Amino acid sequence: MPTLDIEKLKKEVIDSQLWRSVFRGGVWKDTPRDRAAHIIGNVWLHLHPVKVRPRALEWAYTWGMGGISFALYLLLTVTGVALMFYYRPTIGLAYRDIKDLEFAVTLGMFLRNAHRWAAQAMVVAVILHMIRVFLTGAYKKPREFNWGVGVLLLTLTLFLSFTGYLLPWDQLAIWAITVGTNMAGATPVLGNEGPLGSVVGMRINNDVRFTLLGGTMVGENTLLRFYVLHCVAVPLIVGILLILHFWRVRKDTFSAAPYQANEEKVDVWPHLVKREYIGAAATVLFIFIWSILQNAPLEAIANPNVTTNPSKAPWYFVGLQELLVYFDPWIAGVVMPGLIIVGLMAIPYIDTNPKGVGYYAWKERPFANTLFMLGIFMWFALIYIGYACRGPNYAWYWPWESWLMTKPAPPPTWSVFGPKDAAMFPMWLGIPLLGAVSGAWLLGPKLIQKELDGKKTMGAFLGLLTTLGVVGMVMGKMGPIELGFLLVLAGASFYYGFVLPQRHIRSLDWPRYLVTMVLVVSTMSVLLKMLARLTFNIKYVLTIPSISMNF
Amino acid sequence: MSYRKLFIGSNVLLLVSFAWAFLKDFNAEWKPYQKAYYKMAAESLEKEAAAAKDPKVAERLKAEAKKMRKSPVEIKQIIVADLNRFDRCITCHVGMDEYTNPTLKNDFKEHPYKAHPKVDDALVKKHGFTKFGCTSCHSGQGLATTKDAAHGWVKHWEKPMLKGVHIQASCVKCHGDFETLKGAEVAAKGKQLFTKHGCQGCHAINGWGGVTSVDLGDIADKPFERIAGYNFDKIRFDGKKLPNDHHHTAWNLQNWILAHLINDPAKVTPNDPFAHYNAEPIPPSGMPDFTKEIDREGADAITAYLSGLTKEELIPSRWYVPGPKPKEVALSGKQVYEKYGCQGCHGLEAKQGRRRFNAAANGQMPIEEVKDEKTMLAEMEKGLEPTLPDLMGTYTHEELVKKISNGVPASEAKLYNPKGPAPPINMPAWKDKISKKELDALATWLLSIAKKDDSGF
Repeated sequence: MPTLDIEKLKKEVIDSQLWRSVFRGGVWKDTPRDRAAHIIGNVWLHLHPVKVRPRALEWAYTWGMGGISFALYLLLTVTGVALMFYYRPTIGLAYRDIKDLEFAVTLGMFLRNAHRWAAQAMVVAVILHMIRVFLTGAYKKPREFNWGVGVLLLTLTLFLSFTGYLLPWDQLAIWAITVGTNMAGATPVLGNEGPLGSVVGMRINNDVRFTLLGGTMVGENTLLRFYVLHCVAVPLIVGILLILHFWRVRKDTFSAAPYQANEEKVDVWPHLVKREYIGAAATVLFIFIWSILQNAPLEAIANPNVTTNPSKAPWYFVGLQELLVYFDPWIAGVVMPGLIIVGLMAIPYIDTNPKGVGYYAWKERPFANTLFMLGIFMWFALIYIGYACRGPNYAWYWPWESWLMTKPAPPPTWSVFGPKDAAMFPMWLGIPLLGAVSGAWLLGPKLIQKELDGKKTMGAFLGLLTTLGVVGMVMGKMGPIELGFLLVLAGASFYYGFVLPQRHIRSLDWPRYLVTMVLVVSTMSVLLKMLARLTFNIKYVLTIPSISMNF
Repeated sequence: MSYRKLFIGSNVLLLVSFAWAFLKDFNAEWKPYQKAYYKMAAESLEKEAAAAKDPKVAERLKAEAKKMRKSPVEIKQIIVADLNRFDRCITCHVGMDEYTNPTLKNDFKEHPYKAHPKVDDALVKKHGFTKFGCTSCHSGQGLATTKDAAHGWVKHWEKPMLKGVHIQASCVKCHGDFETLKGAEVAAKGKQLFTKHGCQGCHAINGWGGVTSVDLGDIADKPFERIAGYNFDKIRFDGKKLPNDHHHTAWNLQNWILAHLINDPAKVTPNDPFAHYNAEPIPPSGMPDFTKEIDREGADAITAYLSGLTKEELIPSRWYVPGPKPKEVALSGKQVYEKYGCQGCHGLEAKQGRRRFNAAANGQMPIEEVKDEKTMLAEMEKGLEPTLPDLMGTYTHEELVKKISNGVPASEAKLYNPKGPAPPINMPAWKDKISKKELDALATWLLSIAKKDDSGF
């Protein structure tokens, strides 16, 4: 009776010409040489080094978020290509094609859900990746440039998601894109509604918004433009930057963690590869189950004549939209995001603290971590407010309140400095005064050479605020809620914008100090403007209507 | 847990979840209906075969039954490109699919198996299913293949299926001559009632009529976004709120139109007369309360008529059958009054002016005595449009013609509550709408019914 010798058969298969022409390794013996060859000899794996330091493998250190972001990018590419077989980017067909995916195409709904949810998850994963890298100081020398590439990738991730938002061509899509692109029209100089825009000859049909939309409103050309950007142009740029990003990670020895004595590197195969696989598999599994249980939204077909109420930007931009309540579009939609991007990229160059590279070091980097996490907190708090607490007419509705309830219109607002008919006090008083306050704030922390006692300073400041607040309440100009806003927002601005910088960065050299303070003061100005509106109903602190410049 | 176990576990779970997704997709809602139909149709063919005397016929029927049983389970659709209809309704309603059921008749009693009723009627014959699709007449979401979505009983589908007599709206869409059309009697009655009660006095249709309120020429296309949800919430049908759970079965355009006729519109759209929510007071809907004049049947008829007034671009003009040209006939003054909808505000036969919110009128409580908002609201609601016979005794013919021609601007309204909103309606200028000849006839008739002033002045 012939017996089946599996080992022999296996050897014969592996040694056959066909097998050896495809896989060069021969029989796997699990020697270090084999494991190295597995990485070097494989085009997909060879972006890894052969060996890696064990510190780079710890989930608690990496959170796996970089790898998960990339896994989502791949999943998005696969599902996206599959969707492209069914989708035609014209306003007559786009919506119907989505309906076909939903109702007639095998697994069409699942594909669309997976693409949609993976895109949302990727935004979150990339942000978490950035937070992790920041908290472990992994952007510091020599990784400054790769941090910058990462910030660009984050921006492009948001842009990819944003361009995809339009494609279903439903009401949700066009109004979200309308909200988003209207901000572009408020770009200083380049937008027709932005400061100085009209001075240099920007009109609705030649400014930057027009370029983005391919028209004066969201329409057929916009759909085509966004489709090409979404499916070809942006993914290509992201791909190129990803290669750069990965290459730099590998060249910079994979982990920023400090070297330890007698540290022995481990083989990437299997130690890193297995972790990457599990991370990716868990991510895909999560997206699959989410896509089975929850369908992607699809509203009525796009109608440029019918504005939805409220119209909201995609959730990751709702924070900026929320800022529109307090600022003019050119600040909320252009200056703020611009400052965020430039500020993030500047961080490695202004942070001279050598400590805290490669490990979590709250105590060694109190200023950097506190301010960064404050920014992240504000970003998500504003998103939460805009997404969950805003109802019809963008009025405030608690999440548990029905939108069928009518809400009173907000109280009338006023402006502090500006031309006679628009404001309470004249401009010639306001510009020097505001300039002096900003200048003092910018320079103050460094000019005061001695470190102030934080508790005493804060105590004095809050005492002053409380006194003012109580006086206001007695005069009937302020209620307890307004007083609360005053204490929290002004107190936070003073603490994070003055006390902390005074304590921690006054020894920085002037250029770095000034860049840092501009970023800090800009962040605090958001809190202060919210305070001005919520407590004092101030629309603008300074308004210069002649050049559409309002603060 | 070791990575080996995680590796195997995650792969198994991935496969399972994909299989789950596939099965969910595979077990589509429409499949059991289609399978059941094939089975039922095959069974009735077999029954016929057993009853057939001629063995040849029996053989043929048996073969047909066998074929029916083996019919592929598939999404069926009617594509009518020039009407932009892609109707998959026959995926479940197989009895209405001409390929599966060439006679378009069967004995099944229940939906979705039942055949289309009255397929032999001229009305249905003229609108062949393959030529018109389903949603051209019935509305609903033709592309959908699940029950709720296909019938349009879901959020974000603006045209749910038309129910009952409202389906005659679809006749109005294409047939300009629907008033003389067999089968469109309810819509025709709706148009008649619309004119009789003077709706056109405020609501023009395609520019024909008054401009006080919205032109209803495209009312069937009114987007839901323009109807505030909280106003839907105030509608009462037989004293009950409309259910909100199953969105467009109840919160739809037909019920919105109906609500204006079987409710007091001021209660449906109360707005903000005391400026609680807005900087300025906003009066409630100026539309009069027609509940005493128009019964539910009439309201349904008007709804059927109005629901057909669409500007849907997708109905090509070649499908449109124009109506008869209006004949030029000399009208009496009373006919002119009715033609232009004066009764919409001044009452049938000018007997009693209708409500004009916050206008000063006789019989209102002196404003100093009003203490609370509820009483104030009730008093403001007592404001009336002029009852013409009481008013016109002092007018000469020329003065009356001038007044009708130029209208009365809102600023001239005498308010009951000076802090309240200006009345929502005022007399529009009719000079571009009513011809000189008609104006003369109208003024003559109005003066003939005016109460004469006997006081000697």
